[in-house]
Amino acid sequence: MNKISGLNKIGLYTLVRREIERILRISIQTFAAPLISATLFIFIFGYVLGSRIDEIAGVPYMQFVFPGILLMNILSSAFEHTASAVFFGRWIKSIEEMLVAPFSYIEMILGYVLSAVIRALLIGIGILIIGLFFGAVAISNAPLFLLYAVSVAIIFALVGILVGLWAKSFEQLGLLNVFVIMPLSFLGGMFYSLEFLNETVRAITIANPIFYFIDGMRYATVGYSESNLMIGAILIIGLILTLGILVMHLFKIGWRIRA
Amino acid sequence: MAEKALEIKDLRKVYDTGTVAVDGVSLSVDKGEFFGFLGPNGAGKTTTIHCITGVARITSGTITVSGIDVVDDYRKARTKVGIAPQEFNIDIFGKVGKLLDYVGGYYGMTKPEREKRIDELLLQFDMMKYKDTAFQHLSGGYKRRVMLVRALVHNPDILILDEPTAGVDVELRRDLWKYLQKLNKAGRTIILTSHYLEEVELLCDRIAIINKGKIVEEGSKDYFTRDGKSLEDHYLEIAKNGKGYE
Repeated sequence: MNKISGLNKIGLYTLVRREIERILRISIQTFAAPLISATLFIFIFGYVLGSRIDEIAGVPYMQFVFPGILLMNILSSAFEHTASAVFFGRWIKSIEEMLVAPFSYIEMILGYVLSAVIRALLIGIGILIIGLFFGAVAISNAPLFLLYAVSVAIIFALVGILVGLWAKSFEQLGLLNVFVIMPLSFLGGMFYSLEFLNETVRAITIANPIFYFIDGMRYATVGYSESNLMIGAILIIGLILTLGILVMHLFKIGWRIRA
Repeated sequence: MAEKALEIKDLRKVYDTGTVAVDGVSLSVDKGEFFGFLGPNGAGKTTTIHCITGVARITSGTITVSGIDVVDDYRKARTKVGIAPQEFNIDIFGKVGKLLDYVGGYYGMTKPEREKRIDELLLQFDMMKYKDTAFQHLSGGYKRRVMLVRALVHNPDILILDEPTAGVDVELRRDLWKYLQKLNKAGRTIILTSHYLEEVELLCDRIAIINKGKIVEEGSKDYFTRDGKSLEDHYLEIAKNGKGYE
């Protein structure tokens, strides 16, 4: 007992297990809410309105909007998971349980990120199943599909950690989601093609990083893309590295977690 | 020479706000000792404990537990220490058994090890019936017990108790005293902070008093209770003589 060398495997597994059990305890908020919201989006935008809209580049509108709906839920689940886990841990000081335990800061970050990715993927699977009922699902490249889902979940899990560390109140905790993530998701080509936009709005959309995530996911599902996928790949790798290094640095210096 | 359970040398902790919470504290605790760490509110007790356990960063100085540096070899050092803090820094919605199981896992204990140890501790603390109860639904006394059990799950060499009997009724306090004495007799080093001076006098072999971040008096229990006076009398006397007290 108590001999930990190298990676604290049992500790890391426990961290992930604790986080998963925590979200299962509040499953209406963590699972039912995003699944119901996704169902409504698919029904209204895909089924009701979609039946009146022509195909886009040979893709039925329902299948065109589905990747965006899926990705929006994946990224918001990952973000909410780490933001609330870190913030509440600081708020009720239960994060001290981890600080006094034999964890390296990398293990703590891994614990948060892994559990966020699992939660996001569970939501993703749920939405895929719902999408199947509406005939909205098409997967042309399964490995790429999984890669996009996991990468985007990692990016937003890291963003969530940053917000969880930064926020000093519940109000601040929701700021980024309301003013940045949600608007960027909706304006990232989730419901429309670039062809529908004038030059100015198109330029704004191309400058939106979430556009590349949705577009990449759309390529992995229906095989249609409007952007250079390489730009998306570089963006994803760049963001994971930059955010990962920043989060590691903040944990290393104990910013807002160690006095 | 007795083996050292804890050794603090020239510890200094300055918060980002510029507040000097601990200012050159040096003290050592022998293995198997029951050590009392006293001082008024804001004196630097909890900050010192936070530096030992890793909740606070050390500005300068060194701390070793069982000869292991708490910064250089933090992973090993943390397995040696169990802390029951003043505040309930726990997921209050979690069930007692689960919360303890997680802590055991953090310390690398396998599932069978955790199950055995947790059941053993819950029985000892008469808490088995609350294993599936959420922490928030426990009474204040039982919450304190959970904090103590949590500190013991990984079987640490040193147990640090920061106000463990605050808000606990007399009966439970006496039960806890008995249990702590038993633990200490079994060889565990215990460091206790408390505002109940009779508790410290009863339990501790040696005592240090800290104020304004500095150790103002340190000695054996006999030293503090010489001339037939109680620890409380002596504590107040030190206060009156202005040894760093306000």
